[in-house]
Amino acid sequence: MATSDVVKRVRKYEAPRWLTENLSLALVLPGLFFFLSFVAIPLAYLIGLSLTNATLGTMFQDAPGLWGTVFGEAEFVGVDNYASLLTDGQFYRSFGVTWLFVATSVVGKVVLGVGIAVVLTHHWVRGKRLMRALVILPMGLPAIFTITVWRGVFSSARFGLANQFLGAFGFESIAWFSRRWLAFVSYNVTEMWLAYPFMVIITVSALQNVSGELHEAAKVDGAGFINRFRHVTMPSIKRPVMFASILTAAASFQQFLIPFVFNRGGPARANELILLYGYREAFEFRAFGEGSAIMLTAITIIGLFMIVAATKGELAEGAHE
Amino acid sequence: MTLIQSITRKIKSDIRAIPAAIVGWYRNTQYKLDLYRRGKIGTLQLLAPVFSTAGALALVSILMFPVYWIALAALSGEGASLYSAGGLQLLPAGFNPWLLITEGDLWMGMDLTPFVWVIGDLIIPSLRISIPFTGSSIVTSEVVLLEAANYGVERPSAFKQYAWNSLTVAIPTVMMTMAVIIPASYALSRKEFLMRKKVLYGYILFTQVGGGLGLAMLIAVFAIFSAFGWTNDKFMLAVYYSAMAVPFNTWLLKTFMDSIPPSYEEAAVIDGAPPWRVVWEIILPLSKAGLAAVLIFVFLAGWMEFIVAQTVLRPENYTLPVGLFALIDEYTVPWARFSAFALLFAAPVVVIYLFAQRYIESGLSFGGMEG
Repeated sequence: MATSDVVKRVRKYEAPRWLTENLSLALVLPGLFFFLSFVAIPLAYLIGLSLTNATLGTMFQDAPGLWGTVFGEAEFVGVDNYASLLTDGQFYRSFGVTWLFVATSVVGKVVLGVGIAVVLTHHWVRGKRLMRALVILPMGLPAIFTITVWRGVFSSARFGLANQFLGAFGFESIAWFSRRWLAFVSYNVTEMWLAYPFMVIITVSALQNVSGELHEAAKVDGAGFINRFRHVTMPSIKRPVMFASILTAAASFQQFLIPFVFNRGGPARANELILLYGYREAFEFRAFGEGSAIMLTAITIIGLFMIVAATKGELAEGAHE
Repeated sequence: MTLIQSITRKIKSDIRAIPAAIVGWYRNTQYKLDLYRRGKIGTLQLLAPVFSTAGALALVSILMFPVYWIALAALSGEGASLYSAGGLQLLPAGFNPWLLITEGDLWMGMDLTPFVWVIGDLIIPSLRISIPFTGSSIVTSEVVLLEAANYGVERPSAFKQYAWNSLTVAIPTVMMTMAVIIPASYALSRKEFLMRKKVLYGYILFTQVGGGLGLAMLIAVFAIFSAFGWTNDKFMLAVYYSAMAVPFNTWLLKTFMDSIPPSYEEAAVIDGAPPWRVVWEIILPLSKAGLAAVLIFVFLAGWMEFIVAQTVLRPENYTLPVGLFALIDEYTVPWARFSAFALLFAAPVVVIYLFAQRYIESGLSFGGMEG
């Protein structure tokens, strides 16, 4: 066969349609593989770990065989870890307090965020734009900064801002982190401060879309401020605020840093939010297997929640363009 | 119009807007007063804006108070307290603007020792630069910018070391992330292919559950890092960060690229430009604003991440957030010093972040068809 024949054949050769049509996929794949290898592998390993009785002592021991290489001396225990969660009082306590935190902090964030947004869009207020620019500052602050600062606010030491504030009104100092519900309140206040800028931004842009004519018409009909808010403003901002609430509820459910930095979910493990519970089981009580089971349960719940929210709501708007 | 020009133009228009706003207020007030005098509006309508604005200002001040409080603590020197024997103190201890005039004290009597403690010595060491072929060499003299001992600070903090660690984590993170997301976001924005919607949908979903998922995987990530001996390795931490940064930033850059009109590309294709030239000479220059925003977000993500860094790093490799957290567990560190440390960590971040928000992210529609 002459060389020219080969050239001719190569020239004649046309890549199959499916390949030419999907060639651009090659541009996405490196990133996707890079990302997935740091998600899928740990996730698979996490699932594996959750089926073993791995502890810090057994996990890193060398043992023969493939199993031994991957899981060390840990033994396969099946779904024992999940079964024992069902009888673990701490799991229920942690689960309960997490949902309670989601409920209270979301209500707090929505009320605070919508309240600020209403005030800072009102036509009576001058310098609204400047104040709005200032008020969303917490969004740009590093989370660890905000949370350590708020720990200082609720500190029982002499400098603690909350206690100084109480002191100014003649109250006695409070040990915020060693009383269960006070610690819970401090988590909520901090979470509200962390997340209100997001609510404010969403609500302000929704409020600016409310037509002024509707308000004028309601005014002419004699509706007061409360009535106008209920019957004109609320219906127009309901959807964006709902959307923001779903996202912020997910963020509350995944809150870890606040309890971790404040008092490690104390006092006496009363306020361990679910992710902190899993973290402490693994890293402080050395039970990696059980910790993995807790973490997987938590992310299954949050994953289901987000998928339901995404299909019901318009979360995936960006993907449907 | 280049990105820099568009940014400077926007900053200029922002600055010009300030006097205009003041003049506007003044005219409006005069108008209202005039209406009131002529009896067109009542007292309530005259005073309502005043009270509302005061109320809004009070609200904003209360919300921002924790930040002010930290600055106050940092500037008040050792052992500072907001509520001292002299009652509520809303200004830093010793603060006296008058000193600026009488003594030329730039800091107006405030105590800056906590900041000196954070920064420590700033000394450019003497260097010996040898000049080739001549055999001679130049020895630069040591430049002392700041010597902590002069301010009575004995053992300064490890801030500079932590900052260096943060930098050496954040820079590789940015490089690796940019390398994979630029082609991906171009393809997602412009091409149609198998799985396109699924990939986008997965990325968007991950941006919402990423925090929790990352935390949940922490156990496995720690185990894998330990098994491969990657703990305490800043580079592997950067690899992990950039993998986690892919979904959100790909999506963000994709939305930037969506805003570039396809007619530019069509024109280039008709002129016979090969695909790589279309990307190199049209898409990339036009998405500069998006690239800058993504770059900043990725950098800040690497700079600020705490949980994974805290789990895998050991003290000599602590990044700034971990170093900050380590301070609060040390009860010997005075609150003023902690505040100064926290402020020096957060201030550049918030400035860069808000700058990116205001001037870069909103600049995505620059240079449309008129270009």
